[in-house]
This record gives sequence, structure tokens and C-alpha cells, in this order.
Amino acid sequence: MSTYVYGITDSSHTGLPEGMEGVGDPPAAVRVIKEGDLAAVVSDAPEGLKPKRKHLLAHQNVLAEAGAAGAVLPMRFGSVAPDDDTVTGVLAERSDHYKERLRALEGKVEYNVKATHDEEAVLHRVMSENPELRALAEANRQSGGGSYDDKLRLGEMVVGAVKAQEGEDAAELRRILEPAAADVSVGPESTGWLTNVSFLVDRKTAEDFLAAVEEARRSHPHVELRVNGPLPPYSFVEPDPSQHAESGVGQETALE
Amino acid sequence: MTVVPAQQSGGGGGSSGLYDVLELVLDRGLVIDAFIRVSLVGIEILKIDVRVVVASVDTYLRFAEACNRLDLESGSNKSPGLPEIVGEVTESGARGKSKGALSGAAETISDAFKQSREEGREKETESRPRARKSTASRRKEEQE
Repeated sequence: MSTYVYGITDSSHTGLPEGMEGVGDPPAAVRVIKEGDLAAVVSDAPEGLKPKRKHLLAHQNVLAEAGAAGAVLPMRFGSVAPDDDTVTGVLAERSDHYKERLRALEGKVEYNVKATHDEEAVLHRVMSENPELRALAEANRQSGGGSYDDKLRLGEMVVGAVKAQEGEDAAELRRILEPAAADVSVGPESTGWLTNVSFLVDRKTAEDFLAAVEEARRSHPHVELRVNGPLPPYSFVEPDPSQHAESGVGQETALE
Repeated sequence: MTVVPAQQSGGGGGSSGLYDVLELVLDRGLVIDAFIRVSLVGIEILKIDVRVVVASVDTYLRFAEACNRLDLESGSNKSPGLPEIVGEVTESGARGKSKGALSGAAETISDAFKQSREEGREKETESRPRARKSTASRRKEEQE
């Protein structure tokens, strides 16, 4: 039976609730295997495990519970070892590395922040700030929408202005939130959001971070912020967060 | 503005922001070479594309269209003097035609322009900056 691995903790970790259920259908029982100072939170790996929502949630739930009781290094979903011995072997082999990571993440949680523009609101904003754009839009409107070329020209300018606004807002959001965080990890870019950034936050100062989020919401009403946390520190399991940055958007500057 | 409440740990959270969390579960976290990874083929939850080239003709046309609509909503046949346009946009937003986020932004614009345009409409002069949340209810009272 192969072994599904949820995360790595300190062996002194206070453990999980009785009867914690993991991935699989029916859910596999979660257990802890120890090796020296380290422990792995595991379960039997179900046959033919697929990345279905319920399994993803089970993975997340186990890690949330484990994380509530002490530092945990969350595995990416779907990590399966051939057997328990392989898991303990890995723990032994990279013991120093994992212990260092656990120390660095002790008492800290991840907050993921994704921002999108409210399209109409941001159009209002760029139009109000850009007289040239306004004049062009007005000229088009007066000529019944403008010619194809006129529309293209206007659209190109608007897209440029909106993109510039995206970059500006992403930078400003980071500037507002970063001081309340211990570390920052920039997530992949996507058409789905203008920024996708994870912040490592000390549990004790989480309120300060959330207050900064509220400040950002107030000062940027044309931006919709989706904040998720506290989460296990998925984005901070490796020492150098800059490897998570996939573009030139974020200049990685850890605060420490 | 959409406010997604922060999820609590331990309980597994509700469905709000689920997609945002699953993105992390699937895409971040520790990877150990000695372990196999379950195949993620056929996963439908993950929709992370690399940012496609935004600069396409279609996008330009769509935004040009959006801008036209934006202006038309202000319903103006009047002189295209700059403050007038902004004032009308503000008014149409504040009237609650569109979503809350829009009227919020419209008020921001209103705030920004108020200094240079003190003789504005009564509605706008009533609304104050930095008190956006209660503006809608206050406006209702004022109209009575």
C-alpha cells in the first residue's frame, strides 16, 4: 500500500484530532509517522486518486488542522510515496533542511490575496484621469461610435491605460500589505486577476495584516480583493520565495 | 465591492474563496522528488492560464465599446465640457443603476472633482468622501 503524504511537522507536534479523515472515498484514516525530530502526516493512498474537489478539500483540511497545532510544511496535493519507509527515509535524509524550514515558519500562516478590477469602475477611473482618452471617447461617441480605426485606437489606448492601472494598483496593494507581513511570495500571473500574492503573516499580528487589507479596500474602491487565510504556508515551504515569482512584476524583497 | 470573508482554519471553510485556496493546494506546497505525484490530467478546477496577449484587436474593440457604453450611460447631448461629463457619469453611477462597486468608484471621481466644481448637484454635495458604506442609506433618507 503506498502512502499519501500531507505534510511534515516536528515530532513534538501535538497531533491531530481523533478520527481525522484524509483523501479517498471512503476517506482514509490520517496517521503520523515519526523519524527522529520530524514527523510526517500521512494516510494510505487510495487507488486511482484524482484531483477532485473533495480530495483537494480533504488535503487542505488535514493541513489546516495540523497547522493549528504547530508548524507544518504542507505538501503539494497528490504526493504519494511507495511506502512509509520511503517517507521516513526522506525525513532522515533532509532532516536539517526541514527542521530549518519548520523553525522559520513557526507561528506563521499564509494569507493569499488576489485582486481584480471592477471593469466599469476602473474604466471610470482611467477616463477621469486621462483627458486625452476622454476627448477621444467623446469624439467617437459624437460620430456615432467612430470608425473601425477610431475604435481600435480608442480601445488600444484604454487597454494601455487599464494595464498601467493594474500595475500601479498591484504595486500599491503590495506596498500597503507588505509591512504587515514577514515574507511575500508572488504567485503566477493569469488573466483571472491583476495580482496574486501570498503573504506570510505571524499569527500574533494577523489582525494588523487584516487591518491593512481593509485599508487597501478603502483606498482602492475600484479593486476587488479576495483574501484567503489563515492557510498553511504553501507558498513558503522553500527558503527563497523569489523562485515563485514567474514574471518581472514583483521585485522580490523579503522584509527580513 | 465583493467582500470575501477570511476563511477560518480548522473548519475547512465555506465555498467562498474555495477556488482561490485550491489553486494553492494544487500549485504550491512542498514537492519531494522521491514521491510520485498523482496525475492532474483532466482537472477542471484549475484554470490558470498564462496571461494571454491582452493586446488583441478583439480586446481593443471590446474596450472601445465599453467606453462608449460608459459615456452613453451618462446620457448626454449637452456640451462635452469636461467637468460636465464627469458630473453626469457620477450622477448615473450614484443613482444606483449599477453595482455597488461602480457607485463607489463614481463617488471617488466625484470627490476628486468636487474641489474644482463646488457648485455641483445637491446629491453630490451631500455625499462625503471616506464614508462610502453608509452613503446609500443616507442618500435614501435625504430623498425623503
